[in-house]
Amino acid sequence: MHDFRKSRLFYFALIAPAFGISALLIFYPLINGIRLSFTNSSPFQQVEQFIGLENYQYMVTDPLFWTMLKNTFFIVFTSTTIGAVAGYLLALLLNSGIKGLSFFRAAIFQVWVVPWIVVSILWGWLFSSFDFGIVNYLLEAFGFIDEPQNFLFNSRFSQWAVILAYAWRMIPFMMVISLAALQQVPTEVVEAAKIDGASYIRIQTAIVLPILRNILLVMYLLQIVKSLQELTMVFTLTGGGPVNSTMVISLYTYKTAFETWDFGLASAIGVIWLIGAVIFSFWFMRLSKGALT
Amino acid sequence: MSEISGLKKTNQVGNRAIDVARLNRLLAKGMLYFVAVGSVVILLSPIVWMLSTAIKTPSDVFAYPPMLIPEKPTFDNLAAQFSNGKVLRFMFNSAWVGVLTAIVSCGSAAGVAYALSRYKLIANQYILLFFMSAMAFPLPMMMISMYSIFVDLSLLNTYWSLVLGHTIVTMPVAVWILKNFFDQIPIEIEEAAFVDGASRFQIFIHVVLPMTRPGLAASAIYVFITSWNEMLFGLTFISDSEMRPLPSGISAMFLSDFQGDWQNLMAMATVVSIPVMLIFFLFQKSFLKGVTAGALKG
Repeated sequence: MHDFRKSRLFYFALIAPAFGISALLIFYPLINGIRLSFTNSSPFQQVEQFIGLENYQYMVTDPLFWTMLKNTFFIVFTSTTIGAVAGYLLALLLNSGIKGLSFFRAAIFQVWVVPWIVVSILWGWLFSSFDFGIVNYLLEAFGFIDEPQNFLFNSRFSQWAVILAYAWRMIPFMMVISLAALQQVPTEVVEAAKIDGASYIRIQTAIVLPILRNILLVMYLLQIVKSLQELTMVFTLTGGGPVNSTMVISLYTYKTAFETWDFGLASAIGVIWLIGAVIFSFWFMRLSKGALT
Repeated sequence: MSEISGLKKTNQVGNRAIDVARLNRLLAKGMLYFVAVGSVVILLSPIVWMLSTAIKTPSDVFAYPPMLIPEKPTFDNLAAQFSNGKVLRFMFNSAWVGVLTAIVSCGSAAGVAYALSRYKLIANQYILLFFMSAMAFPLPMMMISMYSIFVDLSLLNTYWSLVLGHTIVTMPVAVWILKNFFDQIPIEIEEAAFVDGASRFQIFIHVVLPMTRPGLAASAIYVFITSWNEMLFGLTFISDSEMRPLPSGISAMFLSDFQGDWQNLMAMATVVSIPVMLIFFLFQKSFLKGVTAGALKG
């Protein structure tokens, strides 16, 4: 009988295209980025010089760096948590035996398809600072505010406007994955618990959540990593402002690289980002392994 | 007699108890539907507001109180987008880049995914780990080196800089989706074709790939939608506005060209969203199946 393991040549032929692209455009840029973080590289610099940890030293003395880190943590974790909880609750709702499941699922998933550039323009309109801006109008109508607010130019509100957009855009993905996971939970286990008189809340927390723990953790991790990369909205709508309140790590790195043209400093920020993502991923992977045993 | 009436009585009580239980269940069901419909309405409301504004006349846009259904609906704003050379050009660029990226990304991902699915090598684990962690790598930092690579290959201001950039962003997920589809194909079919004298390459192209059509469709849709959505590469690697795809093209002009012209901005936003929404709507079944199948096994 033929064995696929016998042809190494075919194996290499299969992975060659992806390997070539990844080596050139993922692996090399990553390694080279780490190297650049120790140099003064810039298109305006005649010669590239090794300057040791100078970029890192400059970075930690810049107050904007710490503000940016704080914003990134706050915006990414808050939005992902809201999105994950809302997505999971929606999945629970749709999994409770109601009819038209595929209709609801498809309707909600439309949100995931809306391009980020559209979300940015749309958010500018929803949060328009005049009383015909729909958010201002609704908040006024329900008596939450007395006069129209300039949400996107107020550092307290602008973060929440961005968080709301991030959460809104990720709910469909969270819902679809949670729903698929919920459908895998063996019904016999849940039925048995019901017969034993367990309440709904108890069944959910003691049986369903532990079964789904791994998949939910991985979903959360993937979304955090993806949200860190996202910058369309903070780039086009708020530009990182007002007063740097929506300056997040992706935008900060991008602006340092392609607006200030300081490749060395931008790479140093990128390295911090990379280290943070790696530590966070390992910690999460350990959490999800712990659930297996 | 008394025995019978006693029986009747208990029966009645029993019936009433059943009725109350049924009523409760019905009420609970009704509540569920109410909450489900309510959540969908709330989630879709920003999109509805976008569509509503897109068909408003300027006076309806700034009317107070705001109205959901315009007094005089008009399709002029939407029509104006199609006679706007810039928007059409951006849209063509986006569509073309999206299609090319889908081919390059899914094509190379299919090879890796098949290799990972069929060969039991220790290296496979590391390859998969590399692709998964690639999603976490800081893209703006990597773009610095990509920029100089594209300068060296004179790919700046070409579609290929975008296609390659979008490929590295989408390939990890495409590999993930496709591997799960390949895993589901029984190896016996390939073995039979091999005995019949087909080469490994022929088997892959003519036997395996046609059987993974739903997986290819799911990953191609994912790649296209992501490419349509992507702004950063278009902004950095393309300086010729004729060559820019939608997101970067719009972000470069949006604040200056459309100040306060909300009905036109919303019409443009609608026109930008409709192609991807339509694609998703037509292929949602295979798409959702592909995405969730990957998630549950990984």
